[in-house]
Amino acid sequence: MKKVRVDLNLCVGHGRCYELAPEVFAEDDDRGHCRVRLARVDGELEKVAQRASDNCPEGAIFVEADEG
Amino acid sequence: MSTPNPNPDTGEVDVVDPSFTACPQEVYKRLLQECPMAKTLGTDSPVLSRYEDIRWALRHPEIFSSEMDIHLGLGTERPMIPQQIDPPRQTRYRKILDQRFSRRRVVEIEPRIRAHANELIDSFIEQGECEFDQAFAIPLPCQAFLELMGLSVEDLDLFLELKNGIIRPPVPHTDLEAAQEYRTRTGRRIYEYFEKLIDERGAHPREDIMTHLVTTEIDGRRLEREEILDICFLFLLGGLDTVTATLGCNLAYLASHPEQRERLVRHPELLDDAVEELLRWETPVMMLPRVVKQDVSLGGEEFKAGTLVTLLVGAANVDETEFEGADHVDFDRGRNRHLAFGGGPHRCLGSHLARMELRVAMQEWHRRIPVYSIKEGETPRYSPGIREVQYLPLVWPTGEGAGS
Repeated sequence: MKKVRVDLNLCVGHGRCYELAPEVFAEDDDRGHCRVRLARVDGELEKVAQRASDNCPEGAIFVEADEG
Repeated sequence: MSTPNPNPDTGEVDVVDPSFTACPQEVYKRLLQECPMAKTLGTDSPVLSRYEDIRWALRHPEIFSSEMDIHLGLGTERPMIPQQIDPPRQTRYRKILDQRFSRRRVVEIEPRIRAHANELIDSFIEQGECEFDQAFAIPLPCQAFLELMGLSVEDLDLFLELKNGIIRPPVPHTDLEAAQEYRTRTGRRIYEYFEKLIDERGAHPREDIMTHLVTTEIDGRRLEREEILDICFLFLLGGLDTVTATLGCNLAYLASHPEQRERLVRHPELLDDAVEELLRWETPVMMLPRVVKQDVSLGGEEFKAGTLVTLLVGAANVDETEFEGADHVDFDRGRNRHLAFGGGPHRCLGSHLARMELRVAMQEWHRRIPVYSIKEGETPRYSPGIREVQYLPLVWPTGEGAGS
């Protein structure tokens, strides 16, 4: 199980995350910035979350060890 | 022998040299290896190339500012909003504009853009050839813009004329004074056009962006007339040429790389990733201007306040430190954090619209004209700064056996 975290100070709304991983991220209602839908992921969902992280131009998405 | 570009002796790079804009990737590579802090030819103005330096600069508008004192000579009387102003002022405008250019909003007009793309293709497909820029890449983004703004499609020709009057004034190339005069005159016509619309939408509101600009509030007040005009000016200059250029760069690349084109046609599911990879490789908006607001040290170099700087995002997008195998166009690249839409608070406002247009245009073109190439003996011609492929003659088979 991994934890998904977004640094909203870095997010500027490129929207790559909710394009690539709509299961894990959503478009917020306000400005199209990132909203985390699933804060804990594993298996396939961990892979797609990681792919979103790898394609965020701001490096704002972290898929990291879940320490409870 | 001609001077190499960049010149390793002087550290200068000619960023508007036609051979550079036609095929910049080799120059980027040498810049990154030999002089990641170059100067533009004949000036002392630094050119940044490294991915990390550029990303840092984009994230710090309080240091690398978009608020230029000098006019960029685009026929405007004031800075364009929100591109030429910085946070915190810029943020207030972005809040209301981002909503209207969100992915959710642009998806609403996707079917109409698809219909426009097909109408354009209908008009030339039987001929087996076209000049892509005039026939497709210019009109499609203009139609998309009119749809999104809620403007009449009948205004298409007028819009193209106004846009070209600013970007490419129809005067002799060398007559800078005449060009400036033409731009100023065109700028005034653009203001007049939008002034009329502001009045119309004020009297007869509709469900469109123009009405939104007239009726929306920032901090409890409506936008001033001048603010609306400064936003509209940016829409017109920023929203059309950039997508035109990207479509041209993409088709020029695929026309001359048949194995990549064939793969894309056989595997349409690769299209989204291909669009991103071509944005990285081609980076049609190859550079962004900034002015230093406070003395700063970046990438081992000192920058003094007041210095004009060029961020060569095209070079950042082929920097090996960020992109493994950067000089290969790889549609399977799993990690792609390209900066083709810039980054930080000034991230391209229209990036969702642009991505939708690119996806739809590429899908429909390849569905209907899967086999094409550059006309024999012809060479595409690229413009500097924004790499519009101003001359791109394409040919394809017609009649029996076409489309295979």
